Amino acid sequence: MTRFVLSRLISAIPTLFLVSLAVFTLIRLIPGDPVSLMLGDNIDDTAYEAMSHQLGLDRPIPVQFLLWLQGVFQGDLGRSITTGQPVLPLVLQRFAITAQLVLVAVGLATLLAVPLGMLAAWRQNSAFDLGVVVGATALMSIPTFWMGLMLLLFFGLQLGWLPVLGYVSPFEDFGAGALYLIMPVAALVLHECGILVRMARASTLDVLRLDYVTHARAKGLTEGQVLRRHVFRNAFGPTWTLLGLILGNLLGGVAVVETVFTIPGLGRLIVESIYGRDYPVLQGCLLFVAVTYVVVNLIVDLCYPLFDPRVKTT
Amino acid sequence: MISTQRLALPLLALACALGAGGAVAETLNVQLASDIRSSRPGVNRDALSDNVALSVGEGLVAFGEGGNILPMLAESWTVSEDGTVYTFTLREGRTFHNGAEVTAELVKQSWEATMAAPEFNCAGFFDGTRGARVTGIEAPDARTVVITLDQPEAMFLKNTAQSQCGGMAITHPDSFAADGTWDHPVGTGPFTFGEWRRGQSVVLEKYADYQPLDGGIDGFGGHKEALVDTVNLVVTPDRATAIAALRSGDLDVVPFLSTSEAAELTADPDFEVKSSPHGGMITLLMQTADPVLSSTEMRMAVAKALDIPQLVEVATDGLGTPNASLVPEGSVYHSAVHDEGIAYAPDEVPALLEAAGYDGQELVIQTNRRNPINENVAVLSQAMLQMAGINSRIEVLEWATQLDRFRSGSFQMSAFNYSNRADPVLAYSAVTASKEDRGSAIWDDPRAIELVAEATSTPDGEARQAIFDELHQLYLQQMPFVMLANNLTVSVNASYVQDYSTWNGFARFWGVSVDR
Repeated sequence: MTRFVLSRLISAIPTLFLVSLAVFTLIRLIPGDPVSLMLGDNIDDTAYEAMSHQLGLDRPIPVQFLLWLQGVFQGDLGRSITTGQPVLPLVLQRFAITAQLVLVAVGLATLLAVPLGMLAAWRQNSAFDLGVVVGATALMSIPTFWMGLMLLLFFGLQLGWLPVLGYVSPFEDFGAGALYLIMPVAALVLHECGILVRMARASTLDVLRLDYVTHARAKGLTEGQVLRRHVFRNAFGPTWTLLGLILGNLLGGVAVVETVFTIPGLGRLIVESIYGRDYPVLQGCLLFVAVTYVVVNLIVDLCYPLFDPRVKTT
Repeated sequence: MISTQRLALPLLALACALGAGGAVAETLNVQLASDIRSSRPGVNRDALSDNVALSVGEGLVAFGEGGNILPMLAESWTVSEDGTVYTFTLREGRTFHNGAEVTAELVKQSWEATMAAPEFNCAGFFDGTRGARVTGIEAPDARTVVITLDQPEAMFLKNTAQSQCGGMAITHPDSFAADGTWDHPVGTGPFTFGEWRRGQSVVLEKYADYQPLDGGIDGFGGHKEALVDTVNLVVTPDRATAIAALRSGDLDVVPFLSTSEAAELTADPDFEVKSSPHGGMITLLMQTADPVLSSTEMRMAVAKALDIPQLVEVATDGLGTPNASLVPEGSVYHSAVHDEGIAYAPDEVPALLEAAGYDGQELVIQTNRRNPINENVAVLSQAMLQMAGINSRIEVLEWATQLDRFRSGSFQMSAFNYSNRADPVLAYSAVTASKEDRGSAIWDDPRAIELVAEATSTPDGEARQAIFDELHQLYLQQMPFVMLANNLTVSVNASYVQDYSTWNGFARFWGVSVDR
């Protein structure tokens, strides 16, 4: 087990290096830079050169990259060009907010989607199955920003039940924090539910057709026992993989939802740093996202044996 | 049994509490489209940061509505005969937000600290790069500040009052942490800097001991009394969310709105849409070094092909007013000369094109979608140019990319807005320079450069008026770009918000009350 974890972590190093190099290079190849944005239309060449020098942006790109890499190895991701804040604490602070949102949403989506998908497969071709499939497809097709705006208009504006904007950390005030999270969580749950239901249904259908399920039924087990004991553990594998991918993606920032609901999360930070050409913040965020992705998928792989004993991590 | 006396006290307390209903703390919730960059006036700033700085801090002087300079922390000043020594007399009894009295020594320290800050945006205005150099700041007594320049500089006071310089707000040394880094502004303005939750909100609290000046509100000066207890600036990047929040009452003011969004709210009795022009410029830039556009006849053909009143009307959803001059209409320098512009004359275009040797070459108009006015200007201009026989197409760029092309002069035509310029000379100097010295220069005519330099060192008065008049006439002869209108700030507030206004592109929170 330890060797497996170590080998996975070591194999992630080249990936992370390539991600860093690509991000570092590509963001600098996009026209526009932080100095132009800071100086705006007041720009003159002297001021431009002075500020570029001050920010170290006049050095050759390979030198800038090596200096940044040196900082990364020392746990220093630099400082934001825009606000002057150290990048690592900033990224961690924003990630904590995104993580609250995403973990609650994915948890709820899983609790809803997996039973629904399994039941739909069990009642294949029934009105219930048709309803679940149509509903899941509709939810998958609706973009999260539109879903978010509709929730906002209905529950925030029409009914006035929920706050339209702002964010309160549940760790500071649980009641208020939960209230502010309801709509963004709902927007994510509805969208991810659609995808997970489809996957859970499809994998359950595959398992239900296998001989050992017929055998279990022939033994006289109830349908509930068959589904719980024999179908669920075998059918959950693909959904679990998908869950890992979804979690990795969402933890990397749900920029649209965060923007619509004014949540100061990692996704919004990434978008702001792209528009502001805040190189250190963007580099730090994307490196962090890549690490998160690797770690989440490692955890997913490590959890496989819990559902499927045939899978070993050695 | 409870006696009447025992009941009387709680009832009295309740009655007092109810009677004090008018004293309930009132909060004005305002949209902040993105977080501020820093809380330090003039340092690592953008327009939103400036807005906070102007609410919290005050400088020695401030801009009045007409672009004139008003006394602020200084009650008066004198200028030496040679124009190099400015002596300010401070008002008596003004205090910082921490209760400390404003003294000449603290003003000197504040100026020196600001000018020494590496990211001070206006360093060039005071270190000799873009004008005179401040050679000394003295505090001969508690109420006198003497600032000495190395050469006369007519723009010195105006540079001092500029919003991008944070109005050279005077801040107390307590603004710095023990390790010497900036902490938060301890200024002298009508609001104190409260809690800043990065990425979420900035709270400004009413400064209870603020002593407003007599008279009315005048630009960033005059009577600046805070009538609300708290201004809560909520970071709301998405405009649709901001409008929804305005409708739900979570926001009271959305200070910067596109004209099209404002147009949708104009008819709604629950809201007040306000449009206020400022010294920014809505332009269609032309690259005079471009082989096609280097000809004056060609640029004149472009100008005559544009129906500017119609273009401005449509591009600004009826909220803008055409202005052919770089001198804003509200300026004391906007004389009758500046009302003259190039009239729409499509009939004259073919002859001008022929004289320019135009052979159907395609002109590319750069624009962006960040500012709907730019996009509208590009679309309408292209249509009008095509109708007049000038082949053109639009290239939509991300804002940072367009800005980069602007900086290097890599464009043929560009639908571009200049930010607010508080004085005509700042507007002219934004466009006028040698292209060898500055890639973003548009107008590099030697006479124009000479006139702008002259205006920079000429104090307010008739001589300055004559310079601006000549500059405008020269502009009309050479047409280096098309000045369409002054830019506008469009805001919307709930109808229960009283006396809210923006001025020169900035939200003013003083004098605003809320009656829910």
